[in-house]
Amino acid sequence: MAIVKWNNRTPYDPWKDMRSLQESINDLFEIDRSPNSMGLFDRNVSPAADVVENENEFTVTCELPGIDQKDIDVSITSNVLTIKGEKKDSHEEKKGKFYKKETWSGSFQRTIALPVDVEKDNISAELKDGMLVITLPKKEESKPKQISVNIK
Amino acid sequence: MATKEIEKQKKQYSAYADIYDDNGKIKVRLEMPGVSKDGLDVHVDNDTLIIHGNKKYPEIPGHYQLREIRNGDYHQEFTLDQTIDRNKIDAVLEKGILTITLETKESEKPKKIEVMNK
Repeated sequence: MAIVKWNNRTPYDPWKDMRSLQESINDLFEIDRSPNSMGLFDRNVSPAADVVENENEFTVTCELPGIDQKDIDVSITSNVLTIKGEKKDSHEEKKGKFYKKETWSGSFQRTIALPVDVEKDNISAELKDGMLVITLPKKEESKPKQISVNIK
Repeated sequence: MATKEIEKQKKQYSAYADIYDDNGKIKVRLEMPGVSKDGLDVHVDNDTLIIHGNKKYPEIPGHYQLREIRNGDYHQEFTLDQTIDRNKIDAVLEKGILTITLETKESEKPKKIEVMNK
């Protein structure tokens, strides 16, 4: 195996600082109330997600309040995890007067590219209290290994 | 000193809310993913409806590649006026969505007055 260039897994994202600054300002004035006020990127109409990597597995958490299990479609092709679904407006049939509307509805899709191979047969997904937790175990060969080097 | 104590506390956010009229009843619908029935507290204090949801979202050991979910409790307060019947407040938590139904008092409902011919 050839020596490959070290790839920093979290390259510096200049927008991240901007986003966190915007979030802090929004928090200060409590104006982050409308789903349209997320700012720079159109994250507003897609559910928030966390991706955590540790030695053995990836954990993907996604906030999906009010969505039935049957309306969520989780699939993986090569190393790309796709969470698809439809968030239904729970009161579309009732034509009542709205005093406040901050939630969104409609179909959504999140695509997450995983950096290493995962065991596709051992992926588990659990939906509880509107939180979807997907656990993706890493393949044995992609786990970090300890290799001892003898120094002569 | 005081600021340090504030920083120690778990952050609180207000959940996204929909408030709408459903056949004369006022419905408050709050998106609270990660809140179970045990961690939810809804109560009325005089004229204030207080909703507090304890979000159970433990820190996962490892390296966060993407972090969008806000870890904090949900806290919201709404002011109720005198037309709301305090004894008929109903709350349902289902799939991370809390729906609170508020009813207006019988005496506050529109009354039909019949016009008599003389």
